[in-house]
Amino acid sequence: MTTTIPPTKTVAARAVAASKIYGTGDTVVRALDSISVEFPRAEYTAIMGPSGSGKSTLLHCLAGLDSLTDGHVYLGDIDLSTLSDKEVTKVRRDRIGFVFQTFNLIPTLTALENITLPSALAGKKPDQEWLDRIVDTVRLRDRLAHRPSELSGGQQQRVAVARALVTKPEIVFADEPTGNLDSRASAEILGFMQKAVQEFGQTIVMVTHDPISASYSNRVVFLADGHIVDELQAPTADAVLGKMRNLGGE
Amino acid sequence: MWKVTRKGLAGHKLRFLLTALAVVLGVSFIAGTLVLTATIQKTFDDLFADINRGTDAAVRSSNVITGNFGNDTRANVPGSLVAVVLKTPSVEAAVGNIQPYVQAIDNNGKSIGGNGPPTFGLGWDPNPKLNQFHIVAGHAPDADNQIVVDKGTADKGHFRVGQQVTILTTKAPQKYQLAGIARFGTVDSLAGASIILFTPAQVQVVANVHDEFSQISVVARAGVSQTQVTEDIQRTLLTNGAANQYQVITGKALTKENQDSVHKALGFISTALLVFAFVALIVGMFIIYNTFSIVVAQRMREMALLRAIGASKRQVLASVIGESVVVGVLASAVGVIAGVGLSIGLKAVMNAVGFQIPGRGVVLRPSAIVIGLLVGTIVTIVSAVVPARQAARVPPIAAMRAVALERPINRVRRLGIGGLILVLGVVSLFFGLFGSGISLVGIGALLVLVGVFVVSPLFARQLARIIGRPLTRLRGVVGNLSRENAARNPRRTATTGAAVMIAVSLVGFITIFAASANASIGSAIDQQLKTDYIVTLKGGGGPGGGGISPVLADKIKALPQIAASTPIRLGAARIGTSTTFLAAADPSAVGQLYDFGVTQGSVSALSAANSVAVSTRKADSKHLKVGDALPARFVQTGSVPLRVAFIYKNNTLAGDYIISLATFEKNFAAQYQLDAQIFAKLKPGISVAKGRDAIAPLVAPYANAELKDNAQYKADQKKQVNQVLVLVYVLLFLAVIIAFIGIVNTMTLSIYERTKEIGLLRAVGGSRRQVRSMVRWEAVIIALFGTLLGVAIALFFGWAVVDSLHDQGFTKFEPAVKSLVFIVVITGLATLLWASLPARRAARLDVLRAIEQD
Repeated sequence: MTTTIPPTKTVAARAVAASKIYGTGDTVVRALDSISVEFPRAEYTAIMGPSGSGKSTLLHCLAGLDSLTDGHVYLGDIDLSTLSDKEVTKVRRDRIGFVFQTFNLIPTLTALENITLPSALAGKKPDQEWLDRIVDTVRLRDRLAHRPSELSGGQQQRVAVARALVTKPEIVFADEPTGNLDSRASAEILGFMQKAVQEFGQTIVMVTHDPISASYSNRVVFLADGHIVDELQAPTADAVLGKMRNLGGE
Repeated sequence: MWKVTRKGLAGHKLRFLLTALAVVLGVSFIAGTLVLTATIQKTFDDLFADINRGTDAAVRSSNVITGNFGNDTRANVPGSLVAVVLKTPSVEAAVGNIQPYVQAIDNNGKSIGGNGPPTFGLGWDPNPKLNQFHIVAGHAPDADNQIVVDKGTADKGHFRVGQQVTILTTKAPQKYQLAGIARFGTVDSLAGASIILFTPAQVQVVANVHDEFSQISVVARAGVSQTQVTEDIQRTLLTNGAANQYQVITGKALTKENQDSVHKALGFISTALLVFAFVALIVGMFIIYNTFSIVVAQRMREMALLRAIGASKRQVLASVIGESVVVGVLASAVGVIAGVGLSIGLKAVMNAVGFQIPGRGVVLRPSAIVIGLLVGTIVTIVSAVVPARQAARVPPIAAMRAVALERPINRVRRLGIGGLILVLGVVSLFFGLFGSGISLVGIGALLVLVGVFVVSPLFARQLARIIGRPLTRLRGVVGNLSRENAARNPRRTATTGAAVMIAVSLVGFITIFAASANASIGSAIDQQLKTDYIVTLKGGGGPGGGGISPVLADKIKALPQIAASTPIRLGAARIGTSTTFLAAADPSAVGQLYDFGVTQGSVSALSAANSVAVSTRKADSKHLKVGDALPARFVQTGSVPLRVAFIYKNNTLAGDYIISLATFEKNFAAQYQLDAQIFAKLKPGISVAKGRDAIAPLVAPYANAELKDNAQYKADQKKQVNQVLVLVYVLLFLAVIIAFIGIVNTMTLSIYERTKEIGLLRAVGGSRRQVRSMVRWEAVIIALFGTLLGVAIALFFGWAVVDSLHDQGFTKFEPAVKSLVFIVVITGLATLLWASLPARRAARLDVLRAIEQD
């Protein structure tokens, strides 16, 4: 059980003709306009695009935090759009990991308790060997008994990454995970996530607006006005920046 | 800034609604009490004005004993005095009357009334000016075996004119023919009293007197003023050498005196009710304070921004105070209206249980409105002052900071101030208990509660964690979250808990007090009472309950199965400067029936004329020993020096003074020769069952009396204590409700504050059920925090009060552990249930919106 996820190149998550429409009539906004996209297993995908392009909406819908107006999102073979709130909650708990931009941790719990929160909510004991490995990977060994308020921003995000990885989820969704960090802490977090993909075969989907962050991924998907407009394999920061300029974004 | 105030209120509607509810409830209690009291007062004012309408003057004995509750008793006057009064030329008519206890028995053999409004007899006065009764069926009594009853009594007994009705009096029960039914003025019954009208001659017989009256009512000749006729009568009495013994007052003064005595009695009731209303308001103050504190803390950034753009400290302060004024005034206004509604409801209830308050509607005095509005508003403003000052103190720079930081707790200062208040409270409590009076006890108790509240944030975190420990084990991470949430904000937990603490401490105290009373009485009955049977008055002989005819005691004593028997008679006399109850018993028998725990002298010495037995408590405080004189004043006989026959320590059942039946008969008027209880002991070899077979048939005709063995007697005493306990529970219920409102209020505010956290918990896989559970268990921890403190304080109050009453018969301190555990469990369960309101709200939060909330 302590081995990594087998690196078969199957699809971990996908969206099929996914639409998300806000408002009606004249004020209608198509945040997602019939998007179809696949996220292969053991791959690190970055979603980029200017503000209002729908990148966060896509992530939220893929993660079961938000529901589609039309179309389907799948996690493995499970169609999330057909599940009840209770079932989606269970999927989130057991099969998905999250890293948000801010406020990732429950302030009353220690770092260790935060890391093991999803398994604790499931009433399970975390895999101790795996937990140790993750904790050592993100270098939090000496911080486990601390509360979030006693941790730096970078340390807090490391706890969040550890929490996202520790249940061996089928996929980790990261929403601007380094948006609030300085460049050194950012590099550290992105490095850990990259390592998780390379060494453990973890699947990660990350929303970002930062070309340097995106350069840590295997693939970048570009969104604009609710459509997928471009894609880039094995990106470098410069290549990403170039594409972004073409999109007229940030 | 007014705009800010308004917006502040509009933005937090639910919170202020809950806060307002606390004020509304408290104020409605106050207004309801005031309106109800005024209504009852008006009823009696009108009643006495009616009763004395035709009376221009009254002549009565000047020997009076003032009761503690406006219940004065006077000596009888001789019938010959009527003739003397009639010598006055300005007197047109003078009629004597007397009001002995009598009670009717209904067609099913049950006594009518007796538990509450009085039951008594009167002579039918042929003078229409002095008789406010008018016959509505049948006719006035014109033979000594005829009676008239008021319509209320006739309805209760389902009596028809012409039938035979059995009446209990100082004599053996006797049948009378119901000649007629009468109404008093416009009402069926005189405020629920049961009145039986006899011929003037027969009322003397049932009162057991010979030509004696309690009062002579006078009608003046036409054109003579009340003052004039009063002066004329006084002159007549003077010339006949009787001026000092008798008192003449005008009809107006008599009415005023009657009304005042009712006002005094009502004053006690309304004060008692207002005390409970204030308790509810004080609990409410914690809720208001807490709500404003939390809302202010949540709006710190807003306040800082106001300061940054140029608002002065004073303006920020004024905006928060302004909010409290609006909440206070609105809530108080609603409270006054609710109070009027409450009083109308209570009036209906009182009418339904037979205490008739005639007339439509209630009496709403301006003072009730003003007091309700003022108290409610002031309470709200005072509670908001501290949070408002906190808001004003926020530095403008805080606008730039992300989180509103809690003020750190100044531990030393808090401990110092809280400790000082606590010590002051304990000291004044003990001073109050051991001599200086009830108000000091109240102040002391309040200070103790406030002191504990001030200190409690210092240990709230630790105690909440200890209380929540089992949860972590039972509920895993959810339990742990509840526990840590309850511990994370000690000030909030302490304040919310304080409201619960006050309510629980009072409920717990009264429970312990009642349990101690029951334990003391129970052990006294077990150890000191050597009877086999006791005859008691039904319902324990409450006010207006009268007594048992002495005929029954004589019959029981004469039974061959009885080894010893004595009636117990009670009467009020003046000893020293206070009106005190004396108990009378037969000295030749009582020693075999009751273990006095004699420390000096002997029981048999009590048979000497005008002897008294004194409890060690009174003997010690008055420095009495056997043979000493104890000056006493009786209403009928005036000053009488009593001689101490023996001194005893067991005063739980016996009270502080015992006299012989002979002494009682000599010093109390004949109409008061009624027994409260009859003690009986069987001869050896007579089984308890055989004894009952012998005694029960004798007791049966006395429908107001009940035969009990010791176990039944003990259960009966316990029942009486528990009835009072239930009444106090009912009165404290409002405070409990308000405390519970406070828990929901705090939880609602905390959830609002922790929206993001709850969203995160849901995002990483927390189910709705787990969120609900988390909120509910946090509420339970906070509630138990308050409950445990309350129980601890209740134990302290209970111990202190019972200890101070030790020599008044409270010999046993009973901590009522089972009841206290029950209170804790019930509080926990009730909170678990009640907190599902905020819990549902938390669980319904939209995950995405919660996470993205700024």
